[in-house]
Amino acid sequence: MGAAVFFGCTFIAFGPALALCLLTVAGDPLRVIVLVAGAFFWLVSLLLASLIWFISVQLSDRDNGQLQYGLLLFGAAVSVLLQEAFRFAYFKLLKKADEGLVALSEDGRPPISIKQMAYVSGLSFGIISGVFSVINILADSIGPGTVGIHGDSPHYFITSAFLTMAVVFLHTFWGTIFFDACEKGRYGTLGLVVASHLLTSGLTFLNPCYEASLIPLFLLTVSTGAWAFFTAGGSLHSILACLPCKKEESDSVMVYSTLRRPAED
Amino acid sequence: MNLDRVSNEEKLNLCRKYYLGGFALLPFLWLVNVFWFFREAFLVPAYTEQLQIKRYVQRSAVGLLFWVIVLTTWISIYQTHRAQWGEMGDYLSFTIPLGTP
Amino acid sequence: MLCEGIGGEKEAEAAGKMAAVEEEEEMGSSCSWRMRGVAVVLLRGLLLCALVAGSGWCNSVERKIYIPLNRTASCVRLMNATHQIGCQSSMNGDTGVIHVVEKPEDVQWVLTDGPHPPYIVLLDGELFTRDLMDQLKESSRISGVAVAIAKPSPVKGFSPASKCPNDGFGVYSSDYGPQYAHCNNMEWNPLGNGLFYEDFSFPIFLLQDENETEVIKQCYQTYNLPRNGSVPQYPLCAMQLFSHMHAVTSTVTCMRRTSLQSTFSINPEVICDPLSDYNVWSTLKPVNVSTKLNSTEKVVMVATRIDSHSMFWNVAPGAESAVASFVTHLAAAEAIHKAPNVQSLPKNIMFTFFQGESFDYIGSSRMAYDMQKNKFPIRLENIEYFLELSQLAPTNPSVFWMHTDPLSQRNLSDQINTMLVALKNSTAGTGVEVREISSSQALPPSSFQRFLRLKEIPGVVLADHNTSFQNKYYQSIYDTSENILLNYPEWLSPEEALDHVTETAKSLAEVATVVARALYQLAGGSGSTTAIQADPKTVTRMLYGFLVRTNNSWFQSIIKADLKGILENEPPPYYIAVSKPVNATYLVHYVLANLTGTVANLTKENCLSSDGDLYEYAWVQGPQDPNSTSSRLPFCVRSAVHLSSAISPAFELREWGSTQYSTWTESRWKELHARIFLVASKQLEIITLIVGIVILIISFIATYFINAKADVLFATPQDSGAVAY
Repeated sequence: MGAAVFFGCTFIAFGPALALCLLTVAGDPLRVIVLVAGAFFWLVSLLLASLIWFISVQLSDRDNGQLQYGLLLFGAAVSVLLQEAFRFAYFKLLKKADEGLVALSEDGRPPISIKQMAYVSGLSFGIISGVFSVINILADSIGPGTVGIHGDSPHYFITSAFLTMAVVFLHTFWGTIFFDACEKGRYGTLGLVVASHLLTSGLTFLNPCYEASLIPLFLLTVSTGAWAFFTAGGSLHSILACLPCKKEESDSVMVYSTLRRPAED
Repeated sequence: MNLDRVSNEEKLNLCRKYYLGGFALLPFLWLVNVFWFFREAFLVPAYTEQLQIKRYVQRSAVGLLFWVIVLTTWISIYQTHRAQWGEMGDYLSFTIPLGTP
Repeated sequence: MLCEGIGGEKEAEAAGKMAAVEEEEEMGSSCSWRMRGVAVVLLRGLLLCALVAGSGWCNSVERKIYIPLNRTASCVRLMNATHQIGCQSSMNGDTGVIHVVEKPEDVQWVLTDGPHPPYIVLLDGELFTRDLMDQLKESSRISGVAVAIAKPSPVKGFSPASKCPNDGFGVYSSDYGPQYAHCNNMEWNPLGNGLFYEDFSFPIFLLQDENETEVIKQCYQTYNLPRNGSVPQYPLCAMQLFSHMHAVTSTVTCMRRTSLQSTFSINPEVICDPLSDYNVWSTLKPVNVSTKLNSTEKVVMVATRIDSHSMFWNVAPGAESAVASFVTHLAAAEAIHKAPNVQSLPKNIMFTFFQGESFDYIGSSRMAYDMQKNKFPIRLENIEYFLELSQLAPTNPSVFWMHTDPLSQRNLSDQINTMLVALKNSTAGTGVEVREISSSQALPPSSFQRFLRLKEIPGVVLADHNTSFQNKYYQSIYDTSENILLNYPEWLSPEEALDHVTETAKSLAEVATVVARALYQLAGGSGSTTAIQADPKTVTRMLYGFLVRTNNSWFQSIIKADLKGILENEPPPYYIAVSKPVNATYLVHYVLANLTGTVANLTKENCLSSDGDLYEYAWVQGPQDPNSTSSRLPFCVRSAVHLSSAISPAFELREWGSTQYSTWTESRWKELHARIFLVASKQLEIITLIVGIVILIISFIATYFINAKADVLFATPQDSGAVAY
C-alpha cells in the first residue's frame, strides 16, 4: 500500500536521471568516472556548508526562533555558494584532466569533450543533491502514515518528488552553462547561474505553499533548459531538422544538447 | 570454465565426475551437470564422447527430479504441519519463527 | 582497503547528518496548508523544535507524519501450562482507522456499517466490558482496541480477574473438600469478567493520559466522524499498535523452545520468562538462615501478598487487593517489635510477604515447597499458627471477618478457637470488630491454602469481606488509592501529605493494633497487651509512599543510595514481572527493615562487610542533613529481614505442564508502542504510482530518441562528423 507511493515518488524524482544515466553515461567508463567524482565534490561542499551552519547554530541563541530561521536561510545561501565554488573547482580539475587525456590520445583529440564533461558533472551534482534532499522523505513514504496530522499538505510526498526532479534537471543545466561560461570567460553568465541557484534555494523556503514554489521553479527549469540548449549548440534550425523523429521533450532535449560538441568558433 | 576450450575427453571426464559426485547426497552437482552440459549433450554436432555425456546428463536429470520431488514434498508437509506436530515439530526445527505456533 | 572502507562509512554518516540541513532547505516546513483543529498548536511546537534542534534527533519527516502516544500500557501475552492469554499484534504493528466508541450503539459502525475496515476502537473505560469485547473479538473488522481509562472509576465495578481466583491451585480439590472446589460454595469475585484470561488476536492498549486521549478524539472528530449520514472521506485518522509477542501456545511450548534454542542455536533467544521475584520475610527473634530451626521451636506465621495485576502490563495499583493489607502487616510488625519484652516470648513470630500470589500462588507455593523439602530455615512442623491478612480496606463500621477452613475444624478446632479468641480479645479499646463466618464456608483465595495443602495447620484469614469480595475493582486498573478512600486535601504539599494522618490510615492502624496484640498472645505473651499499639503516623506514611508517590523524604531516607533511582513521583506497579526484584519488593524490604530493625553503630565499611546468618545489614541514605541542602546522614540498619526466592517450583523441577504449581510465564517482545497518523486513500497512492511510471517511461523513450537523433539536433554544419559517441 505505502509501497505504491514509495515507487511512484522514486520514479518521479529519479526517473529522468535514471534514464539519462543508463542511456548516456553508463556506456562510457570516462563519463562514469566524471559522474562519481562530481558527486564526491558535491558531498564535500555539503559537508563544509553543514559544518558552517552547525557551528553558527551552536554559537547562537537557540531559543530565538527568528534568529534560527535567519540562520537557516544563511546556511542555505552558504550551501549554494559553496556548491557553485566546488563546481568551479571541479571544472578546473576536469580541465587539467582533459589536457592529460589529450596528451595520451593517439589522434590528439580528447576522448571526452568539455561539453560532455559539463553535462555529466551537472547530472552528478543533480543526482546527489536530489538523493540527499529526498531520501528521508522516501524512507518515510513507505507508510503506513501519510503527512497531514499536523495540518500539512497531503501532497507532501509527490510535490517533494517533483521538486527533486526539477533540482536534478536544474543542476544538469547549470553544469552545462557554467562550464561553458568558464571556458569562454563570461563572468556575467556565471553570476546568472549562481543567482538562479540562489533563487531556487530561496523558492523552497516558500514551502509548503507549493503553488508558490513549484510553479516558478518549473518555469525556471524550462527557461534554464532552453538556455542550456542553445549554449550546447542547439538551435531552432536543428530542432526543425530533427522533426521527423517527432520527439520534442524540451527538458531532455536540453540535457542531450550538452553531449554535443559545439561549433569550433 | 569455458567448455569450448576443453577437449572432448576432458568434457566427458568432468561430466562423469559431476554425475558420480551427485550420489554423495549432493543433488546440486546434478543440477549443475544438467545445466552445464545440456548444450554439449543435445545441441552441438555429434562427436564420439557425446553419447556418454548425454547418458550422464539424462541420469543426472532423473536424479535431480527425484530430489526435487522428495524435497518439495517434505518441505510442504513440514511447513503446513509443523505446528500440529507440537514437540516433535520443535525438535525438527533449527529456527522457530517468533510469535507463531 | 579496510581503512578506505571505514573512511567511506564515516563520510556517509557525516553526510547523513548534513542531509537534515539540506532537507530543511529543499523542502521547508512552515506555513500551514490546511490547518485544522488541534493541529495548529502542535504544529507550532513541532516546527519550533525542528528549527531549533536541526540536525539533532529523530527524522523530521517522521515527526510530520506520526504522533507517538507516550503514556500507554499494553496488554501482553502470558502463558500457563495449557493456555495463552493476553494480546498480540502482528510483527509490524496493527493499523486501523480510529473509531471512538462512547455509547454501546457506536460499536455498530465498526462491526458492520463502516466502509473502511479494519478499525481500531477507542473504547470508553465504562464500555470496556466482557460483552462488548466478545463482540469485537468475533469480528474480523477489528485490528485493535485502545481503552481510555474511566475517571471516575466505573460505579458498577470492574474486575478482569476470574470469578474464582486461582482456581485449582488452592487447597480444595476432589481429594480435599470436593464440595468447596472450584468455588462451588462461594463465588469470591462475582464481578470478575475473566477478560484477563482471554486470548485476543489483536492488540489492546490502555491510554493513561487524558490529554493524549483528547488528541486522538480530536483527530477522530476532524477526519473520521461520519457527518449527516455521509461516509467520511480520506485522509482518515488511523492508529498503529505494536505489541508483537514472541511466545505462543503455552508455557510448555515456550519453555521448551527457549531451552532448545539455548542448547543448539548459535544465537540463543529466550522467548518467555517465568514470572518470578522474591518473598520478603523476617522474624521477631532472629533465626539462623544457614541452619534449620529446631523442631521444638514454634513460630506464628503472619502472611500477606504484595502483588496484584491488571489487564495491562506493569499497571497494577492493587490498593485494596495488596497494599492496604501489607501496610497493616508492616504496621503490626513494627508495633510488636516496639512492645516490651517481646524477645523473651516463648514462640517466634514470622512476618511473610508473598510475591506473585495473584498468579496461582507463586510465592507461597515456593516457600511451602522449600519448607517441606527442608530448604528453608523454618520447617512446616515449626509453624504453630498461621494468620493471613487478606484484603483489608477500611469499612464502616469497622468490621472484619475471620475466615477459617471448615475441614480443619475437625482436628484443629481447639487451636483455631484459640486464634479466634485471641483476635476477638485484642479488639478491646479499638474501634474494630472481628467476626466469625459460618463454619460451612470455605477459605477465600489465600496463601494459607498452599500451606494447608501440605500440612494441617491452624490458621485464620482476616479479611474485609464476609462472603464475596468487598473490592469492586479486584486486580484491575481501578484498584487505586481512591478505592480505599485515601484522600488528601488539595492544598497539602507532598511533604505535608506524607505526614497527614488520613481516616484510612487511622482505621488500618487499628486493625494493625488488633493483629499485633493477637500475635503477641498467640506467641505466648501473657502480659497486658494495651501497650501494643500500631502508629497511625507510620501507616499514613506507608500508604502515601506505596500508593501516592514513592519519592518522598521518608522512603529516600530508608533505602540504599544505589536504589534511589527506583523512587518516582507515582506509586510503584505491584505486578510481579520477570526482572527481579521489582521495585515494590525492594520498598517492602527496606520499609520492613526500617520498622523492625535497629540502628547499628558501624562505619560504612563495617556495615557493608558484616553479613551474618542472623541479621542483614544495610547502609541506607539517611535523612537530609539539616545543616546542608545536598548531603545526607547515612547510617547502618541491622534487621532480620531476608529475601527468599519466589519462582514457582514448577520451573525448579522443570515440570512446565504442572497442575500442582503455578506455571505462568511472560512472553518476550521487542517493542510496545502506539502512534496515530493519517492514512491516504488508495486512489491517491495509485495515482502517485501511475504518474511515476509514466514519467519513467517518457524519460526512457525521450532519452532514447534524442540520443539517436543527437547528431542532427546539436550538429553544426562544420562539425557534423565529429560526434563524440
